[in-house]
Amino acid sequence: MASPAARPRGALEREVLGCLAAAGRPLTANDVLADLGGGLAYTTVMTTLSRLHAKGVLTRESSGRAYAYSLADALETVPASLTARGMRRLLDAGEDRASVLARFVADLSPADERLLADLLDDRARREDRG
Amino acid sequence: MDAVMVLPVGASVVLWLAGARLGRWLPPPTGVRLLSAAALVTALATGFVLAVAAFVALAEIPPVAALGHWSAGAVHTGDPIPMPVSDTVGLLSGVTVTALLGAALLHTTRAGRDLVLAAMTCRRLGPGAAGLVVVDDDQPDAYALPGVGGRVVVSTAMLRALPAEERRVLLAHETAHLVHRHHLYVQVAELAAAANPLLRPSAQAVRAGAERWADEVAAAEVGDRRLAARALARAGLARTAASARRVPAALGAADTGVGDRARALLAAPPRRRRVLATAVTALVLATVGAAAQTAHDTEHRFELAQAAYLASR
Repeated sequence: MASPAARPRGALEREVLGCLAAAGRPLTANDVLADLGGGLAYTTVMTTLSRLHAKGVLTRESSGRAYAYSLADALETVPASLTARGMRRLLDAGEDRASVLARFVADLSPADERLLADLLDDRARREDRG
Repeated sequence: MDAVMVLPVGASVVLWLAGARLGRWLPPPTGVRLLSAAALVTALATGFVLAVAAFVALAEIPPVAALGHWSAGAVHTGDPIPMPVSDTVGLLSGVTVTALLGAALLHTTRAGRDLVLAAMTCRRLGPGAAGLVVVDDDQPDAYALPGVGGRVVVSTAMLRALPAEERRVLLAHETAHLVHRHHLYVQVAELAAAANPLLRPSAQAVRAGAERWADEVAAAEVGDRRLAARALARAGLARTAASARRVPAALGAADTGVGDRARALLAAPPRRRRVLATAVTALVLATVGAAAQTAHDTEHRFELAQAAYLASR
């Protein structure tokens, strides 16, 4: 298997942000490291968190000897949510209008749903054995 | 009408028959670039030869010829197709090219408006953090929004549905759309398809190819094709489950792309297919050549017809 390539610029910031948004609670650098895993160094995660804090994207509070970071804006209050939701309505309006956006996944056909569920099941079975 | 004028129409038919397969066979970056270029060139060349055919038929009408100071008979000289047939072909060409031009203009207006809307949304969303905007929403969704710099928009439900390593796949996939400006290729191909319906399969292949391209970039970034396939599977299932809860009927509008993409990631990496890529490039160049030859021949024909007009006076 090929080894992971170096992350492009900004990729780790996006991953850290995604991690904090998914957690929905303040996380320390150790929490983030445990979630992201994948051979990252503690200092790398720490640097990224500090940089995002310096940009004003994250707030931090003391949690024992470390800082716990959370998203600076409670997501519900971000006008972005409304704007992006309006965009999604546009996206859902029809095939023709959807041409501008590139969506990660669309709804699945029943056949694809079975195929993809099997794909995840295989993995789970192999992990059980191993 | 010259034989060479049929070539762009022939290229359209080839792309109509082979567009979908070319999209599957060529490696995604090559396929997206080549097919969008082929679609654009073919649409322009087809429109051009149809317009020329219509113009020549018009020029053979005596009052028009008198107005343009050329000989109506001389315009038709050397045309292998007899006059009444070529007039009918010319009339049909004129009607077709007008209708297609109208469709292309309508499409350009719509796509332009959507792109402006997307760019404005990007601005209103602010810079985000490294181009990522997280939206608090219980519908799992993620998309790339083109604009100045562009934004990756992901809902909290989608982030929660995926483990960290699969989130990395998703973010890498959407970022790849923006970095490689996939929306431009898709828009060019869609415009070409609006101007020439025979290019519809190629436009669909470009759209599907852009997704495959982003999948391959993401798989390379995490260094694991199976992991990339699992991210697609989990995201697709989460989204479909949420859609079924919201509107059970929405499943009817499902597309089959995600399963094909997952299968492609589970298979070996795409091969280069140099011969096939060269063949498509040759088709594009031949189409350009045919349009250029048509322009040259038509100019020559009218020069002779004008000389004949002057000599007859």
